[in-house]
Amino acid sequence: MRRAKPNLEHIVNNATTVYSLPLIHDRLTQAINNPKASFADITTIISEDQGLSFRILKLANSPMFGYHKNIDTITKAATIIGTQQLRDLSLAISVMGVFKGIPEELINMTSFWQHSITCGIVARILATCRREANVERFFVSGVLHDIGQLVLCTAIPEELAELIMQCRDSGQPQYQAQHAAWGFDHSNVSGEMLSKWKIPLIIAEPVANHHSPSKAVTYPAEAAILHLSDLITHALQAGCSGETHVPPLDEQAWDLLDIPANMLGTILKQTDAQLDETMAILFDKGHQ
Amino acid sequence: MGLVATEKLAEGLVLASDVLDRSGRMLLASGVELTTRHIRMLMAWGIAEADIAGVDVPQQQPVASSKVDDALLQPMEEELKLIFSNVDLEHPAMAELFRLCLLRKVSGETRQAQP
Repeated sequence: MRRAKPNLEHIVNNATTVYSLPLIHDRLTQAINNPKASFADITTIISEDQGLSFRILKLANSPMFGYHKNIDTITKAATIIGTQQLRDLSLAISVMGVFKGIPEELINMTSFWQHSITCGIVARILATCRREANVERFFVSGVLHDIGQLVLCTAIPEELAELIMQCRDSGQPQYQAQHAAWGFDHSNVSGEMLSKWKIPLIIAEPVANHHSPSKAVTYPAEAAILHLSDLITHALQAGCSGETHVPPLDEQAWDLLDIPANMLGTILKQTDAQLDETMAILFDKGHQ
Repeated sequence: MGLVATEKLAEGLVLASDVLDRSGRMLLASGVELTTRHIRMLMAWGIAEADIAGVDVPQQQPVASSKVDDALLQPMEEELKLIFSNVDLEHPAMAELFRLCLLRKVSGETRQAQP
């Protein structure tokens, strides 16, 4: 039997009817964009969701922020970390909840989120090195960059399984094989999902171009950071999102970042210091 | 001239070019002979590397220390090369990343070996 060629638009349209962001994300975004909304309005929205507040507070007190365990209320977290930043963190947490219950035959969920969270941490550290403002958006783009793989897992499991096997043996990068076979790859699916969810371009564009950072015209530095973070995460073999080899480096992206190669050692050390605790906070039994 | 990682700098080395911070402000001028205070200052400023006179090749520290024998190192290197097969290891950043990953593999393995 010959299967029809997978269609990107069709897959994404179907996926968005199944997976939708929790209401709280819309409410938060509206409140943050509304000049009349007060600081208290925003913290109240977060506080109403107990699970979310709990995770945000744990994150705020984790080595990722280094505030030495003094942040005990959402109001304090919003004051110190910032309201937009809390919105970004809550987006990462919400999306992890959206994709629970995906069949694990193809991709192990613990392994998948370990890859994603590691990528987010590396991206956040790279951004800090470059003195970027609002580093939480880098964290969230790292956590979300491969959600396309999850969508493909449920939409076209047989086709995806075939390519994963094929790449494992041949060593061809997964995204190239997907592109050759279907005319699009998982990064396109991730990007389309984010735009359907109306996630800002500053997060959606780097995600959509994490394998082709030179194509990101609006946010080239963000895309370059995410591209490099994904590569480093693969090199560390931290978790797995279906890809078994380190993807090739886009040298233009590396040059754009202007990070000394000798900095990589420090970046890995910082990643190690944050990884276990962040993973434990964002992905635990309660989230399964 | 050659780039040397800050942690590998030693007293008495001479800078081959100016050390600048990210915004381009000069921290130390070319020709300065490094002292312990200078090195501590570079670390405090988060400078990753400095250009040192008289160093020809980019300093690549060998992964193998005396503690690790070749019989252990080689299969790990082969295994890692397989995973890095799509990456150009001639690129300085990728060479450094490969070295770091191999180092982690080796130290992880020896840590497991001695409980």
